Amino acid sequence: MTDYGHDLLFGTFTTPAAQPVRHAVDLAVLADRAGLDLVTFQDHPYQPRFHDTWTLLSYVAARTERVHLSGNVLNLPLRQPAVLARAAASLDLLSGGRFELGIGAGAFWEAIEAMGGRRLAPGQAITALDEAIRVIREVWAADRPGGVRVDGDFYRVEGAKRGPAPAHHVNVWIGAYKPRMLRLTGRVGDGWLPSLQYLPGGPADLTAMNAQIDEAAAAAGREPARIRRLLNVAGRFAPTGRALLDGPPEQWAEDLAGLALEHGVSAFILATDDPAAIEVFAAEVAPATRELVAEERARTAA
Amino acid sequence: MTANYGHRLEFGTLVTPVATSPATPVALARRSEELGYDLVAFRDDPDQPAHLDIWTLLAWVAGRTERIHLAASVRSVPLRSPAVLARSAASLDLLSGGRLELALGVGDAPEAVEAMGGPRLDPHQAVESVGEALDVIRDMLDTDRQDALRYSGAHHRLAGAERGPLPAHHIPFWLDGDDGRLLRLVGTKADGWLATLDRTGPDGLRAGNKIIDEAAREAGRDPAEIRRLVTISGVFADTRRGFLDGPPAAWVEDLLPLVVEDGVGTLVVATDDTGTMERFAREVVPALREAVDRALPAPLPRTVGRSAAVRAKRRPGIAYDEVPASLADTAVEPGDVAYARVRSNYLRGGAPGLVLRPRTPAEVADALAFARAHRHLPLGVRSGGHGISGRSTNDGGIVIDVGALNEIEVLDRATRRVRIGPGARWMDVAAALHPYGWALTSGDYGGVGVGGLATAGGVGWMARKHGLTIDHLRAVEMVLADGTRVRASETENPDLFWAVRGAGANFGVVTAFEFEVDEVGAVGWAQFALDASDPVGLLTRWGAAVEAAPRDLTSAIIMGPPRMGQPRVAQVMAMVDSDDPETVVRQLQPLADVAPGYDQQVVLTSYASVMANATDGPHHGQGEPITRSGFVDHITPDFAEAAARLLASGVVYFFHIRSVGGAVNDVPPGAMAWSHRGANFHVTAFGRHRGRLDALWDELLGTHQRGLYLSFETDPRPERLRDAFPPATLDRLRALKSRYDPDRLFHDNFAITPDTASRTTP
Repeated sequence: MTDYGHDLLFGTFTTPAAQPVRHAVDLAVLADRAGLDLVTFQDHPYQPRFHDTWTLLSYVAARTERVHLSGNVLNLPLRQPAVLARAAASLDLLSGGRFELGIGAGAFWEAIEAMGGRRLAPGQAITALDEAIRVIREVWAADRPGGVRVDGDFYRVEGAKRGPAPAHHVNVWIGAYKPRMLRLTGRVGDGWLPSLQYLPGGPADLTAMNAQIDEAAAAAGREPARIRRLLNVAGRFAPTGRALLDGPPEQWAEDLAGLALEHGVSAFILATDDPAAIEVFAAEVAPATRELVAEERARTAA
Repeated sequence: MTANYGHRLEFGTLVTPVATSPATPVALARRSEELGYDLVAFRDDPDQPAHLDIWTLLAWVAGRTERIHLAASVRSVPLRSPAVLARSAASLDLLSGGRLELALGVGDAPEAVEAMGGPRLDPHQAVESVGEALDVIRDMLDTDRQDALRYSGAHHRLAGAERGPLPAHHIPFWLDGDDGRLLRLVGTKADGWLATLDRTGPDGLRAGNKIIDEAAREAGRDPAEIRRLVTISGVFADTRRGFLDGPPAAWVEDLLPLVVEDGVGTLVVATDDTGTMERFAREVVPALREAVDRALPAPLPRTVGRSAAVRAKRRPGIAYDEVPASLADTAVEPGDVAYARVRSNYLRGGAPGLVLRPRTPAEVADALAFARAHRHLPLGVRSGGHGISGRSTNDGGIVIDVGALNEIEVLDRATRRVRIGPGARWMDVAAALHPYGWALTSGDYGGVGVGGLATAGGVGWMARKHGLTIDHLRAVEMVLADGTRVRASETENPDLFWAVRGAGANFGVVTAFEFEVDEVGAVGWAQFALDASDPVGLLTRWGAAVEAAPRDLTSAIIMGPPRMGQPRVAQVMAMVDSDDPETVVRQLQPLADVAPGYDQQVVLTSYASVMANATDGPHHGQGEPITRSGFVDHITPDFAEAAARLLASGVVYFFHIRSVGGAVNDVPPGAMAWSHRGANFHVTAFGRHRGRLDALWDELLGTHQRGLYLSFETDPRPERLRDAFPPATLDRLRALKSRYDPDRLFHDNFAITPDTASRTTP
């Protein structure tokens, strides 16, 4: 049992389809109005059937009021880290502190190269992500003296001016699966953002992966509980329960509460393009899950 | 000497993207929109950490404005991937509804680019890099080309990127700066030059124009295609103190020569002061426009012209320059960016010479007037673009797309009377009626447009319970071939109202339909995948089960040809208009029992959610659909045997039977032009080869069918007209054709020949 005690967040993971043009915007506005906490979009700049994720996030931020926004996760290899840092700070400033930085090391290297990006081996890509996060946080640290200097193997920043600083502490959430990425997450991340469907063993895999993050955090002198565990989930609403996240909303709430209490997941991001599912998730699943988790937390605290 | 390039005079603001007060640039952009400026621009500066990232800001502003165009001058090109910038530009243009204008520039602080992790470039390389980036962006957005983009420049390399997405409009690409090399690039490849007057100066402007014009001519371009934009700054004062420093009249005096002598087409005021913005918009702009019109031999155009490259794609025989003014802004011709979205329809590839997109009945009349002047060309009328018989696209002709006439309005709750534009789609209609507890049975696909279906018939998911769509029609408003706007109902132009219901495409363009809709609550919706290894038995049993079912139930069956090594499966769909789960299940059970099942799904849902089965992207049909259509009374063993042989031939790839009958047959056959009352089923076959499909259909099914549904028939042989309309109906239609469209303007969809004997002068 691992519960890191974070408040629960609920969000959406919607396809950033370029057609219909406003599909993703409309679903984000719906999520905002329905009271969800997060709206996230995948980022595959080599995919012409999708909107540019950064442009979409910025536009959606302007059309929403309360919801926080993040890439899920941003494609670092095609986004220059110093520019990304300023863009992220800008979006956070414009939105009044509603931006979070979900980021990944990149995959689909052939497509990245096709777009003019640099092909990296997996190990190199992790090093590059580590360097990029340093660059980004240094740019945000507008109060520190001197320019930004990061002399990395992949990103070299030599004296760039710092700033602007974001409006709030922008969380860096890392999409990670393999041991080195998990260790990086434990060492520098504010959160971990995997997809349940990519865990071959299902939720059971979370135990060992959480442990790797926790160990790396502790080794870096960080409190493991600082690192929020987020999870992209998919499923369907059905009148009778058949499997994990395949059943009525009450069953979903139990499933998610289980993931929260046993695996420390504190943010559930629903992969869907169905407005009805978003409404059920916001109106029924989220409050019921929060209630179950609160009861259990109260019980164990007592 | 006068050197004006003949562009529409535009005005903009250049706002500082301050990060310390992020709401300020947003408010200034909104104020610019309110004041009527054409565009608001932001310029980036990588050396300036107190500024917002302009791309993020521009996208945000797009979300907070409605009309104003949005210009970014990106001067940190080496820090941005041009391929990603291209996709970003297309996205922002799409999201903003075609409001993006993009400048690229070198910037004043190359060392800041380097400090941020960019490459070290000398001034020559920096310009070269910008030129390459412009090439990459252009090529990325050129979705006419299907091949992956490979680019090998000194600064940018692409190894096979997919192109797209297609932006909403032609994004103008400008270059920002006054370096001589950059100016030559403007002349060879950009749409505009963005200069800073304070820096370039009037002499520099003249010299720059000269370089651009020469480079353009050397590249075979007309220099007039290149818009000249300058940012200006100044102060308003009671008396003239200097250049752009004085009362508005002095500003006008100072700016006039820039426009009439130096050909500046866009003046962009660099200011963060709303007072300056307001005075410029209210006191300088109108006076300057007047002064310019006085100074120039001819007034400047009001709309943006098309470039030579766009005009080069025009088709012969169309008077493009005579498109009525009311339609000019929305018309699409082959060289336009929007063309890819409008050329084809759902099932048919097309290459029309001109697509007119009227927004009002008056504009429909204008479009028809234009079409009358082009009788030698094909004319298509398009609502949703799903027509199979209706050629809502063509090759080299005119298309009148009424998609913008898409309003849905409840006229009277008590009588459930609704008024619907022809451009609305049935999924939108269903969604709009749902909150009232109403529905109107339409086709089986939500993407279909109202106009085409509601002038032809409308065989939908509640046909047996509620009849055809046109059975609910109470009145239409339409524009006739001669441009007359009329209303038709049982009491007004009743002949026309009779004809519109089944042969509407021959008589005019309907601009509004009035329907009486039904009260419909939740419905049962079933999809079965059934074993079709015995197609004859399956079809016969399905047909019998449908006929035996209460009228609540309407069903369809879809079959394909046998495929090697795969089980034969038929898809059966059915709607039961009942909100009682037990009734739904009871009525569906006989259908489920007609053959062993592979899969089944039954839900209690809304008609609106069943119809929400389409997306609203543009159509990309290719080729021509090859179909046959026929009504049959019953699925007899003989018919089923013939259908099975048709399927076994491999000539048909999609075979579809829908139930009609029930309430459809309550209407007397002569009540309207649609005359196929009495049949219980409608059969459609899609094939890949015209001759083979026709031969087999004629041989196998021809003897079983009585009549056809013209919406699903593409056989061009003239005898099909007699299948679509029985003799008495056809006679009456021919007489009416000679009254309403004697010269056959509408001749592309089951054209009825006027009855010359009864030809009268209206």
